[in-house]
Amino acid sequence: MTVISIDHVSRSFGTVRAVDDVSLEVADGEFFTLLGPSGCGKTTLLRTIAGFADLTAGQIRFGGNRIDTLPPHRRNTGMVFQNYAIFPNLTVGGNVAYGLKARSVSATEIKERVASALRLVHLDAFGERWPHQLSGGQLQRVAIARCLVIEPEVLLLDEPLSNLDAKLRVEMRAEIRQLQQQLKITTIYVTHDQEEALAMSDRIAVMRAGKLEQVARPQDIYRAPATPFVAEFMGTTNLLSGTVARRDGETLCIRVGPQEFRAVGDGNESESVSLSLRPENIRLLAAGETPPPGWSVFEAGLGPIEFLGAMTRIELRIGNGAMLRVASLDVLPDELKARDRIAAAYDPRRITVFRG
Amino acid sequence: MISHRDKFPLAIAALAFAFLGLFLLYPLINVFSASFLDRAGTNFTFANYARILSSSFYLGSLTNSLILGVLSTLLTIALGVPLAFCLARLPIPGKSLLMALTSLPLVLPSFVAAYALVLLLGRAGIITRFLRDIGIPFTSIYGMTGMTIVFVMTLFPFVIFPTLAAFKAVDVSIEEAGQNLGSSRWRTFWTVTLPIVMPAVLAGGLLVFIDVIESFGVPFVLAEDKPILAVEAYKLFVGETGGNPASAGVLGVLLIVCTAIALLIQRHYLGRRRFSTATRRTAPELVVKPWLRRLASTYSWGMVLIALVPFFAIVVISFMEFRGPVMQASLNLSNFRDLLNQSARPLINTLTLSTAAAIMAAVIGVPIGFAVTRFRSRISDLLDIIAMTPFAVAGTVLGIGLIISFNSGWLVLTGGWLILVLAWAVRKTPFNVRAAAAILHQIDPSLEEASINLGISPLMTFVRLTVPLMMGGVIGGMVLTWVTVASELSSTVVLYSGPWATMTIVMFQALEGTGAGIASAAATVLIVFTVLPVALVYRLLRRHELGMM
Repeated sequence: MTVISIDHVSRSFGTVRAVDDVSLEVADGEFFTLLGPSGCGKTTLLRTIAGFADLTAGQIRFGGNRIDTLPPHRRNTGMVFQNYAIFPNLTVGGNVAYGLKARSVSATEIKERVASALRLVHLDAFGERWPHQLSGGQLQRVAIARCLVIEPEVLLLDEPLSNLDAKLRVEMRAEIRQLQQQLKITTIYVTHDQEEALAMSDRIAVMRAGKLEQVARPQDIYRAPATPFVAEFMGTTNLLSGTVARRDGETLCIRVGPQEFRAVGDGNESESVSLSLRPENIRLLAAGETPPPGWSVFEAGLGPIEFLGAMTRIELRIGNGAMLRVASLDVLPDELKARDRIAAAYDPRRITVFRG
Repeated sequence: MISHRDKFPLAIAALAFAFLGLFLLYPLINVFSASFLDRAGTNFTFANYARILSSSFYLGSLTNSLILGVLSTLLTIALGVPLAFCLARLPIPGKSLLMALTSLPLVLPSFVAAYALVLLLGRAGIITRFLRDIGIPFTSIYGMTGMTIVFVMTLFPFVIFPTLAAFKAVDVSIEEAGQNLGSSRWRTFWTVTLPIVMPAVLAGGLLVFIDVIESFGVPFVLAEDKPILAVEAYKLFVGETGGNPASAGVLGVLLIVCTAIALLIQRHYLGRRRFSTATRRTAPELVVKPWLRRLASTYSWGMVLIALVPFFAIVVISFMEFRGPVMQASLNLSNFRDLLNQSARPLINTLTLSTAAAIMAAVIGVPIGFAVTRFRSRISDLLDIIAMTPFAVAGTVLGIGLIISFNSGWLVLTGGWLILVLAWAVRKTPFNVRAAAAILHQIDPSLEEASINLGISPLMTFVRLTVPLMMGGVIGGMVLTWVTVASELSSTVVLYSGPWATMTIVMFQALEGTGAGIASAAATVLIVFTVLPVALVYRLLRRHELGMM
C-alpha cells in the first residue's frame, strides 16, 4: 500500500527552477504519468523521487514515511531508465539478481525469484544470455524484471519506450500496463509522448516549465483541457482567439475574424477568449447533408489536403488568412477537389473556451 | 547541509587532498619557501633570485631550456601533423603495424635514445669514426642539435595520437560542405579541417613542451657544456660542495613557472575554441595519385623507423664487446654478464617498485577520475586542478621537494624505497586520472544509478559495478604507468639511495663513468621489460574490445 505524496517540491539548478513548487498525490496502485515537452521538469521530478536529484524545497512521502531525506539506495524504488542501464558485465540472470544480492536474500530464494521475474516478462529461457545478445525490447524487459524482483514500493519509469521502434513501442506499452495492473504497484511514468500517456495512464499530469499545468484522467485532459497549452500539447487542435459577441443561454457566440463560432462555456460579452476545436470534431458535409441537431454549420474555402491512408487532413480557409484543420476518416481528396466551397459542421459542446 | 549524494565524492576528495597535499603540495611549498630563505634558512630574502638571475650561466640555462622546448615543440608539430594526416586519411600499406610502432617511442626511455645517439654520433661514436675514417669532418652531435633531434624522435607520438584522433573525428560532411560552397580541397584543408584539429595539435604540443622542459636524462647525456634548467637544479641540489637547496629551489620555481605559463597559454587558447564535432560519418581515406601515395608511405614509414633506430642500435650495441670505452667489432654477451655480475638488485628494484607505484597511482587516480567525472562541483574542479599539477612539475623539482620535506621531522622517508614509489605515483597521477575519466565517459552514469536504485550504496556500487566495468582500461593505464615509471630518471636520480638504485640509475652511473657496455646492456634489458607488457596489453585490449562488440 503506497501512496506517493509530493508536497511543495522544488528543485533549482542555479537560477533555473526545473521543478517549481509541485504538489500532487499518487494513489496506491495508480499508474500516474508525468507528461510534457523536453525540459519541462518531468524527469527531474522523477529523479527527486528516486533520490538522484536533491530537493531545494518540499517533502516527498511514501505512505506516511518521509523519503526525501533517505539516500537513494534506501528508498526502495524500482527505476527503469531510458537507455535500460543493463549492466553489460553481468548476464540477464545476474542483472535481475543484482538487487536481491544487496538484500542478502538466500541463494535458493534468489534463484526462484529471478526465474519468476523473468517469467513475468516472458524471458524465461534468457537467464544465461549476455545483454549484448538481446534486442532493445528484450533489454527493456530485463530492466523491468530487475526492478520488479526487489518488490519496490513504487515503480518509476523514465521514458522507457523512447529507444524502441514504433511498432515495438505500442506492444511494450500494453505489456507494461498489463503488468502494472496485475501487480497493482504504484507507478510513475515519464514521457513526452501524449499518445503513450493517454493509452497507459490512470491519471496524467501535464507539466510545463517546472509547474503542473493540469492533473486529470486521460479522457478529461483530452476533452476538457484546462489551458491552451494542454489543449495544444495533447494531440492537435485549432486554437483560435476571438471576442465574445453575445451570450445565448449557455452558448457563447464568439467572433473569430469574419467567422462566428458557437461554444458552450463561460464568458462575458466583448471579453477576449481563445477557443480550442479539435480537427476530428469538425465534420465536412456532403452536398445537401444536414448536420445532427444542435450542431453549427459554416462554409469555408478549401486549403491543402494531406492523404494519410486511414484519415485525410484538410485545411479550411475561414477568412482573414486563418486556417482550420480538419481530420476526416471517410473523405478522399478527389471528392473534395471538385468542390470550391465546403460546408462543415461542429458540435458547440466540443469547443473548449479559455478565458483571459 | 551535505546531501547524501555528495558524501562519497567528498570522501574521495578528502583522501585525495590529503595524499596530494602531503606528497605534492607540501614538498612544492617547501621548494618555494627554500628559494626565499637565506643560507641559515631562517630569514626571508630575494637574494637567491637576485643571485641566480644575475648569473649569466643560470640565466643561460633558463633561455636554453626555453629555446629547446619551443624548438622541439615546433619541429615535432611540423613533422607530426603531416604524419597524423597520412595515418588518418591516406592509404598507407601496413597501417596497423605502423600505428603500433608509432606508440613505441613513448614507452622507451628517451635518455636511452640520447645515449644511443652518443654511441652512434658522439665524439667516439661508430658513425662519427666511420665518417672521419673516410675523410668527412664531423665533430659531434652534442648540444642543442642533438637534444632537439632526440626530443623530436621520442616525443612525436604525443602529437600524432591526439591529432590523428581529431582528423578522424572531423565529420566528412563539414569538409563536403566546404567544397560544396566552392572551396578547393586544398583550401578546405587549410580553412576548415586544420582549424578544427588545431586544439588537438596544441594539446599534444603542450605535452611535448613540458616533457622537454622537465627532461633530465636527455640533457644530462647530450647537453655537454650547455646549461639546462632541470640538470642545473639537480647539480645545485646534490652539489659536490654540499647541496644548495635555496638556489636549487630558485631553478625549481623557474621550471614550474615555465610549464605553468605554457599550460595557461594553451588553456587560454582552448577556452575560446571548443569544437565539438558530433561525428556522423568518419572521413574516408582519400583517393590520391600513385606518386602522392608513395610519397606519403615513404614519409610515414621513414619517420617511424628513424625514430626507432636508436633503440635498435642500442640493442645491437649491447651485444658488442667493449674494452674500456672502446667498442670492438665482435658480438658476445659480455656486457650482460658484467651487468649481472654487478648485482641483480637494480632490476628487482625496478620491477617491484614500478609495480608498487603503478598500483598506487591507480588506487589514487581512479577514485579521483571518478569524482571529477561524475560529480561536477567546485570541489571536484579544485580536485581536478590539483590532480593535474604533477603534470607541470619536473621530476627533479618534485624529488628535491620530497627530500626537503621528509629528510627529518615526524615523517622520514629519505633513504628508503617508499619515497621513490610515492614520487612516481604522484607524477603519474594526472595520467591515471585522465585515463580513468576517459573510461568513465564511456560508461553511462545511469548504470550506477540503476545499481544504487536497486539498493546498493554508492561506495559498494563503485566497488562492485564501476570498477569491474573500468577494469580493462584501468589495467591498460596501470601497465603504461608501470612502463613509464620503469624508465623514469628525473625524480629517481634525486631520490634513490644505495640499495634502492634502479635500472635507470645503473645506466646513469655507467654513463657518468666508462661503462658504455653495461649501460647499453641495461638499456636493452629495460627495453625488453617495457616493450613486452605493452605488446601484451595491446593484444589484450584489442581482444577485449572485440569481445565487447
